[in-house]
Amino acid sequence: MKLLWLLLVIAVILLAIIQLPLMYRYVDKYDSQQRPQRIVSLSPNLTEIVFALGLGDRVVGVSNNCDWPADAKHKPKMGTFWQPNTEAIIAAKPDLVVCESFLQHKEVAETLKRAGLNVVSLRAESIDELYNAIIQIGSAAGCSDKAEPLAAKIKSELDQIRTKASPAKKVKVLWAVQTEPMRVVGVKTFVNEIIDLAGGQNVIAPTGDQYPSVGTETILTSGAEVIIQSAMGTEDIARQQETAEKFWNRFANLPAVKDKKVYVLEADTVLRLGPRLPDGVMAVAKLLHPELFSQPKDANQGGQTLK
Amino acid sequence: MTELLTPRRLIIKITLCLAALAVVMFVCSLVGTQKISLSAVFAGPGDTPGQNTDYDIFVRVRIPRIILAALVGAALAASGVALQAILRNPLAEPYILGISSGAALGVMTAAIAGVSWSFLGGSPMAAMAFLFAIGTVWLVWFTGHLAGGSTVTSLLLAGVVINAFFSAVIMLMTSLIDSEQLRSTIMWLMGSIGEKDFSTLLASAIFIIAGIAALFTISQKLNVLAFGTSEARSLGVNSRKITLVAFALASFITAVAVGLSGLVGFVGLVVPHSVRLIFGPDHRQLLPASALLGAAFVVICDTIARTIISPAQLPVGVITAIVGGPVFLILLSRYSKKVGTLR
Repeated sequence: MKLLWLLLVIAVILLAIIQLPLMYRYVDKYDSQQRPQRIVSLSPNLTEIVFALGLGDRVVGVSNNCDWPADAKHKPKMGTFWQPNTEAIIAAKPDLVVCESFLQHKEVAETLKRAGLNVVSLRAESIDELYNAIIQIGSAAGCSDKAEPLAAKIKSELDQIRTKASPAKKVKVLWAVQTEPMRVVGVKTFVNEIIDLAGGQNVIAPTGDQYPSVGTETILTSGAEVIIQSAMGTEDIARQQETAEKFWNRFANLPAVKDKKVYVLEADTVLRLGPRLPDGVMAVAKLLHPELFSQPKDANQGGQTLK
Repeated sequence: MTELLTPRRLIIKITLCLAALAVVMFVCSLVGTQKISLSAVFAGPGDTPGQNTDYDIFVRVRIPRIILAALVGAALAASGVALQAILRNPLAEPYILGISSGAALGVMTAAIAGVSWSFLGGSPMAAMAFLFAIGTVWLVWFTGHLAGGSTVTSLLLAGVVINAFFSAVIMLMTSLIDSEQLRSTIMWLMGSIGEKDFSTLLASAIFIIAGIAALFTISQKLNVLAFGTSEARSLGVNSRKITLVAFALASFITAVAVGLSGLVGFVGLVVPHSVRLIFGPDHRQLLPASALLGAAFVVICDTIARTIISPAQLPVGVITAIVGGPVFLILLSRYSKKVGTLR
């Protein structure tokens, strides 16, 4: 009996050391010189980048959450952003898969690579990483000539907004992503970068959590001059605006509430780090500095008119 | 008990369960989002990637996933049987003694520290889940041992307290640290059966099967233990030693399962009880039958999870609970009169 156990242990160690080379036949065999003709994107913002690079007609699969541009909605679905369907992806026979680098996408990427697919994993959580993602997708898809101008265009549009907004006094902004319980945008996020670019200043001090939950006291003493709430779900923006105004009235001493500067903003352009970012930043800038940015239009509906 | 358990009967029953598992695994491997043909699969992979997608899907997606589901199911069900026996508590399940929170803490730590080494081909997350699960179990055993008294009660208490404490530490971590990263780890922990490479599967299979086999060798003593500590002693069984061995083995296979797939709930509770209701309480058949049928159960649940709202997928834990709950209730109402008691 003891001998049996010893043998078992030895077998385990041996097997653990011997990786089955057979299973790795395909890895790195992919010819990267060819221009990919069948692209799958697993993340809404990466899908927007792929389409913005003019590769829309080569896309053969997107995640269920990819809804922009309109064409993306009609592409075959490859499972959700959080749980991509490996089987559907392989069956779509893509020659380029773009995905993000967090845990779930990493696991899917590993399986796909074992099946010999060409996978590009990207991290896009800050504006600099967005430029980088555009360049990387461009080079993987063989259209760097389009990617670099696109990144440059976004950069220059953002710079224009920054230049226009920077002389003005910084407006104190409280950005709520959720009201019950209250969660706000912290400083280690790209949304914070958006606030900065648009000539605002986040009233929340640095926190460990990216989107920290904060107490009533913090809100009351924040001195927020503008409150922005990103829209949730599919409910009509005007309805959400109404609900939000009602909700924020309980903080009557906040300058933002006194001056009626509580806005609900359509979430896609400001919470999705993609090529529509300048639109989002512009929408925020119009709310913060209407005197500088606004044409005679209802600032409230800034997000919506962009759609 | 109406009939005696002879080796012959045992072998027949186990063979039947094995056959059921084999059929389930085969049928489930044919079901999926995509229609694939077996003849195309047997044609081989082809020379260039993407040439034979049927082969790729079958060999690299479905087979690994089904094997993983079977391993996790077998481990959790067998561990449930052992823990219910040594704790003499029908509510005992693989996660009761702190394994779940230990594993969760390990995964969080891995995510935060950005650990990048791997263990037997597992991801750092899996390795940390495994190590922390084992560590927690040891801690529970050690505290329970220090507390002395009736081992079972102090074990349960230590498990509950350590569970609560670690959950608090996890809450603390989630409010202090970068939430984007932790969100994906929480999703992972909620039970995620995915595709692993074959070397990971092979190593885990050996660990889990060896663990279940070892539990099987002490199943006769688990029978005696189920009567109670003093009765066991009077029958010449060292209950403390058996408890320790069964506890260590059950925790070990649970930890391997958690490292593979996060926390898949309900299997360790519902499968052993269902098998007990059908086959009776003798651990010599309860243990192997639970392991085999547990494997089949998770394979079925995972197949439902990956196909029912395709191309999207559900977490497998949702299906194990939704399918397992009603099935268990039906069995309970139909068989409990016949068997008399849960144990």
